[in-house]
Amino acid sequence: MKLKVNYFAKWLLLVLASGLSVAAFAQRTISGTITDGATKEPLIGANILVVGTSTGTITDFDGKYELKLPDGATQLEVSYTGYSSTTVAIGASNVIDVSLSAGQLLDEVVVVGYGTQKQREVTGSVTSVKAEDFNGGNINDPLQLVQGKVAGLSISKVGGDPNGGSSIRLRGLATLGANAEPLIIIDGLIGASLESVDPNDIASVDVLKDGSAAAIYGSRGSSGVILITTKKGAKGNSSVEYNAYVSSESIAKSVDVASAEEFKRLRPGSDRGSSTDWLDLVTRDAISHAHNIALSGGFAGTAYRASLNIRNIEGVGLNDGFRSINGRLNLTQKALNDRLTLGVNLSATNRKATYAFREAFRYAATYNPTAPAFFPENSTNPLAAKYGGYYQEENFDYFNPLAISEQSINKGDIKELVMGARADYQLFDGFTASMSYSVQRESESFGSFYDKDAYFRGFNTDGSASINTNDRLNELFEVTGNYTVGFGNNNVFTLLGGYSWQNNDSYSTNGSNADFISNDLSFYGIGAGQNLDRGRAALGNGRDAYRVIAFFGRVNLNFNDTYFLMASARREGSTRFGEGNKWGIFPAVSAGVTLSNLFDIAGVNNLKLRVGYGETGAIPPSSLLGQRTYVERGSFFYNGSFVPAYGPDRNPNPDLKWETKGELNVGLDFALADSRLTGSFEYYNRRTRDFIYPVAVPVPPNQAATTWANLEDVELNNSGIELGIGYLFGDKNGISWEPRVLFSTYKTILDTVATDGTSKFPFFQSGGRVFSDFTSPGAPGLNNLPTMVVQGGQEIGQMWGYTFDRVGDDGSFVYKDLNGDGVIDSDDQSVIGNGLPDFSLGINNSFTFGNLDFNFFLRGEFGHDLINSFRTFYEPLGSRSIENLVVTEYFNENLTATPAFNSYYVEKASFIALDNATLGYTVNLPAGGSFKKLRLYVSGQNLFFITDYSGVDPSVRYADPGGSDNGGFATREFNPDPLYPGHDRRNNYFRTRSIILGVNLGF
Amino acid sequence: MINKSSFFGKALLMLAFLTPFTQSCTNLDEEVYGQLTDANFPTTEEQFISALGATYTSLYGWANHNSIFSLQEISSDEMMIPHRGADWFDGGQWLRVHRHEYTPTEESINNGWNFLFGGVNNCNRVIDLFDQLVADGKVDAAQAAAFIGEVKVLRALFYYWLLDAYGNVPIVSSFSTAEANPPTKSRAEVYAFIESELNANVPNLERKKDGSTYARMNYYAGKALQAKLYLNAEVYTGTAQWDAAIAACNEVINSGLYSIESDYFTNFNTNNSGSNENVFVIPYDEQNATGFNLAQMTLHYSSQATFQLQAQPWNGYCTLQEFYESYDDADKRKGVYGNQSVRGNFLAGPQFAADGTRLIDAGAEANDPDGQPLTFTPEINEHFPNALRQAGARVGKFEIAKGATPDLANDFPILRYSDVLLMKAEALFRKNAGDAEALALVNQVRARAGVPDYASLTNDNLLAERGREFFYEGWRRQDLIRFGAYGDTWDFKPASGPTKRIFPIPAQQVNANPRLVQNPGY
Repeated sequence: MKLKVNYFAKWLLLVLASGLSVAAFAQRTISGTITDGATKEPLIGANILVVGTSTGTITDFDGKYELKLPDGATQLEVSYTGYSSTTVAIGASNVIDVSLSAGQLLDEVVVVGYGTQKQREVTGSVTSVKAEDFNGGNINDPLQLVQGKVAGLSISKVGGDPNGGSSIRLRGLATLGANAEPLIIIDGLIGASLESVDPNDIASVDVLKDGSAAAIYGSRGSSGVILITTKKGAKGNSSVEYNAYVSSESIAKSVDVASAEEFKRLRPGSDRGSSTDWLDLVTRDAISHAHNIALSGGFAGTAYRASLNIRNIEGVGLNDGFRSINGRLNLTQKALNDRLTLGVNLSATNRKATYAFREAFRYAATYNPTAPAFFPENSTNPLAAKYGGYYQEENFDYFNPLAISEQSINKGDIKELVMGARADYQLFDGFTASMSYSVQRESESFGSFYDKDAYFRGFNTDGSASINTNDRLNELFEVTGNYTVGFGNNNVFTLLGGYSWQNNDSYSTNGSNADFISNDLSFYGIGAGQNLDRGRAALGNGRDAYRVIAFFGRVNLNFNDTYFLMASARREGSTRFGEGNKWGIFPAVSAGVTLSNLFDIAGVNNLKLRVGYGETGAIPPSSLLGQRTYVERGSFFYNGSFVPAYGPDRNPNPDLKWETKGELNVGLDFALADSRLTGSFEYYNRRTRDFIYPVAVPVPPNQAATTWANLEDVELNNSGIELGIGYLFGDKNGISWEPRVLFSTYKTILDTVATDGTSKFPFFQSGGRVFSDFTSPGAPGLNNLPTMVVQGGQEIGQMWGYTFDRVGDDGSFVYKDLNGDGVIDSDDQSVIGNGLPDFSLGINNSFTFGNLDFNFFLRGEFGHDLINSFRTFYEPLGSRSIENLVVTEYFNENLTATPAFNSYYVEKASFIALDNATLGYTVNLPAGGSFKKLRLYVSGQNLFFITDYSGVDPSVRYADPGGSDNGGFATREFNPDPLYPGHDRRNNYFRTRSIILGVNLGF
Repeated sequence: MINKSSFFGKALLMLAFLTPFTQSCTNLDEEVYGQLTDANFPTTEEQFISALGATYTSLYGWANHNSIFSLQEISSDEMMIPHRGADWFDGGQWLRVHRHEYTPTEESINNGWNFLFGGVNNCNRVIDLFDQLVADGKVDAAQAAAFIGEVKVLRALFYYWLLDAYGNVPIVSSFSTAEANPPTKSRAEVYAFIESELNANVPNLERKKDGSTYARMNYYAGKALQAKLYLNAEVYTGTAQWDAAIAACNEVINSGLYSIESDYFTNFNTNNSGSNENVFVIPYDEQNATGFNLAQMTLHYSSQATFQLQAQPWNGYCTLQEFYESYDDADKRKGVYGNQSVRGNFLAGPQFAADGTRLIDAGAEANDPDGQPLTFTPEINEHFPNALRQAGARVGKFEIAKGATPDLANDFPILRYSDVLLMKAEALFRKNAGDAEALALVNQVRARAGVPDYASLTNDNLLAERGREFFYEGWRRQDLIRFGAYGDTWDFKPASGPTKRIFPIPAQQVNANPRLVQNPGY
């Protein structure tokens, strides 16, 4: 710890020293007034920046500014929200007055899919976040850049696993199947991998929120579309940027359990004579650093940007983390009198990851705190020799957490390569033909090994190894034509037509083996395992290829910059649909009117109303669902020996088609008070039908109890409201404050589940309620105990069970007799919570005080509940005596019953979190010097959570991976079920907090 | 410039057609890689056999936990899964099944249905397939007819289990032409269907007993199944069929192909395929025929060290104290308390690791009178919620090979010769309680177990003998029902009514198929 303080202290010294040494160069002072070009009213809080430097200020309440010019200053850039920025030369005069014309914000370019639009022309619900508004801190996952920045976009990451992903939901749930996450498009490549792009290289993230905007992406647009655009070079001066940070991360919250002393008192029979802080043994303070260098520029028709990103990230687990290097080149060349633009982009990523064993966290919480980490050296206990000296007791679901961390490895090696080329040719004025081809290649190889003397997943296998590789190809070929023509008086007509051909081809292999003569063979020597000779090793592989082909068109009309109209259609087909349903049409129409152009409303600078409707789809999660496939079904004892037997593995469904979502969106954009108050409001209502789902069918006549089909009797109706609003304050002392608040709320209702119990959901039903065992807490002892319910006409995410009343005199749970019949039975069960939030809030605050900038970002989710699994299993004293007890405010020593699930374990989990706070200082640099920009910052990530939730992380659990026990994997570890949000399961990485020091340097 | 422009226009158009695909630009046919579909399977004789095999491999789920076998065992007086502290509650399912309080939503009841009808469906599908292959002239008609007949008898076994467990079920005899929602048929109709299927097809089965008929339906397996059907006919239809049962048993006995093994446990060894009592078995195997998870289901967590198992057991299934004590200590089938080196139906008493060291259960409850040293006590302190971890004698009947994986390789005897003898004895006894041959047959089985002859047969001692002989072979529930004892009280079970003699139709099936009728009383 002491070393780290010194490290940080040196950084801080560097910050201060740089700031002080450079400040002395300022010389001449100029002043002036910035006004609205039309009204001549002064603009308060306008930005004035010396071009090529980071020196600048803002105007006061009278629109006046004063600025000390550094040496060699030649130009001023003046900008103001809602106005076009302008650049003026610095002459001899010390007074420079500038007037701005309105429209800068409205001229902002928004990426809408197969093209861009000006913000003022957009008729759908599209949010664009530019690089300068991205979240700061130690961000390794591109979408975390916009976490909380887009109303209606929820990005939930539970715990601080550096290799862990996030759950992404746009406007809640739009499907019950596997495609609940938005479609990712990077530089036009549909279905691109987020791992192929480094957060530092992203110029903007544009989110197509509603159906009318997303419908241009047809059969895969139902869960929304996120368009990521990488930074490009621009004509002008060449520049070099270097960004780096170092961060220190530590555990912010773990499961509250009894100390060894408390444990001895509570469980006198289980004292093993030691005192061990298991959490401390399996975690560390993690030090990470990341570097990004980017070269960009342009000359004579060529523009380039090349960048390299290096990340060396540690997790707080004993040895988890990753190292990655990513390179990117974006190159464009104009030719033929600038009529032809050719572009090439290349990106390569190499990432080596060591994955955490979340079970080490889990058992660190629940393992006996009086047990030693190791058997004594001279122990005669046979388990000492058997398990490599680590203290173990042979019990179900009971593992020494330190042994998990040290006797198991799980590594991944991920390579991503993206190559793309694009040609745009202007055939004649207004008509551009484009063609693009890109290929994304992802190769992953994973290996894991459990030591010879490991108990966790080792048992008596004497060393077990598994390997698995995935190779995925995504190739996309597209041709588009775009025609823009003006007509009449200030009217514009734009026509887009295109063809898209996409091929996805994935190939995977896997193998497992056991019984090795040395741990050093590990998974790299998997062939050496002796189980291969015994026929106990396994080898498998598979290939899945599918194509999506589409024709699409779009018309945009702009009447006098006041009335806007958009209509589009995509006719799309996929090989994954059944024979009878290969092609679908996904239409959309939307319109907008700028009311502020029609009526003069006092104080209103802009007011625009938008209405749109669009249909999108979702495609089946795998190929061949329409056909009967035969797989090996054990071996048949035939004439004295075993021969492989083949039987069907599913009921084929040749009628399988896409899901359909129809969405109506009404939006209002506004700018008030000299465009200081800006915002937008959205209302949407969407209805999804024909879910692709394993539908219950009778056996007989069907072979299997479920068929992948379009669930006909269920619809999902989701309606919500989003509001984003910001205000810019500024004063004459170079101080500004820009708070921005995002609010969103939605309700997701599952409609028309048959109340007579004949819904085609493949689960138990009772009185129109559907229960799935999948939602049970799990072993030990809590299987077959559904904790959640699906009911027609009601919200998704309902928790179900008895209502806890009190602890009985005999130490049992006493439940409320809800129906008052004097008997506690299943009729007294009811909805006892909901896993989805009522509303979400994001509050961003940006301050500038001269050279200092300060930003903090608060994020909150309100009204959701979580099932606290740790408490359910380990709080009652009737839990297994070997287990430590979860001791929170709810702990009750009189509760001696065995664990059971009921409302006592459903907790309110509303929270507000300080996701990030960043304090930056921009050093004044001499103009004309070799350095153009130097900013140093200190940042804190996850500084606090304010919540009543007693568990580790109150974040919304948007999907449920299912239970896991005894070293097994969760049923749907990699494909969690979105129908059951709200279950805080036991295998979670703990919450972490980071402090970051960083630098942005430009030259 | 105009020239250039049209040149590039053409070039773009040309490029558009030189797209990177080999098919037409709207082709959406699915490619199949490394998979068998109806388009390419089955086409050769080897593949026909693989297709046929899926009927028999449908049996491999038989001995799994949480399906038909668990239901048959836990609902009887020979087996239970107590609620051991925080473990094995599982929504109360195993408590309810043991206490005969099962409901249509029990997971095991749905799993059992899907397992059995899965077998029926596979048989129907293969019958359709072979009918088609004959119609297309792709297989020898005579050979195909033999296969089809054999599969129909196997299907009759699946239906027999359905008849026994659920009673009133749909009858579906074709896969391709089955109704979308086949209706419930009465138990008597299901009985009649099975009877006619066996009468029509058993006579054509192979009469050999060798490797080619091992684990297959040969003539004698068919006859033993017929005997089972007739022995229980009174339960199924109200009309007894003792003579028909005797006749079917005689076919097996008089063949001279089967005999009682001198050592009872020859039938349950890891390598038990040579037993002369095997009339029909499921040929479990560690790799080829997986699903026999007995060691997982019954052994204590720490027992892993006794057998050097490759996975940790679950500490679930154990026998009832009354049942354990129904064996004389002299009964070779019982085993020896605290001595694992002598095989027995039960593993009871102090437990040891493979190297002879005493096993320690560090998690033993403070109130366990034996403390931490692992001891399987036949006494079970309570059903729930706090049965002791070490409570209950465990199943030791099937050999558990050293270093076994969760999938044991012991073949599971479904129809065993000593059962044929006792079935015949029982049918004779029903006709004449003093029948001498019946007594001799029972005593033949008792003699092998090293226990003295019965002087006479009674309802009770015959039921008890069947219980001891066929422990953990999946017949106990049926025997209790046939002997009128299923509604009796036993450890942790109150008396239960006659509607409990068949299980409910699973709620999920009733939901999916509106023409299914729920059994009375549910």
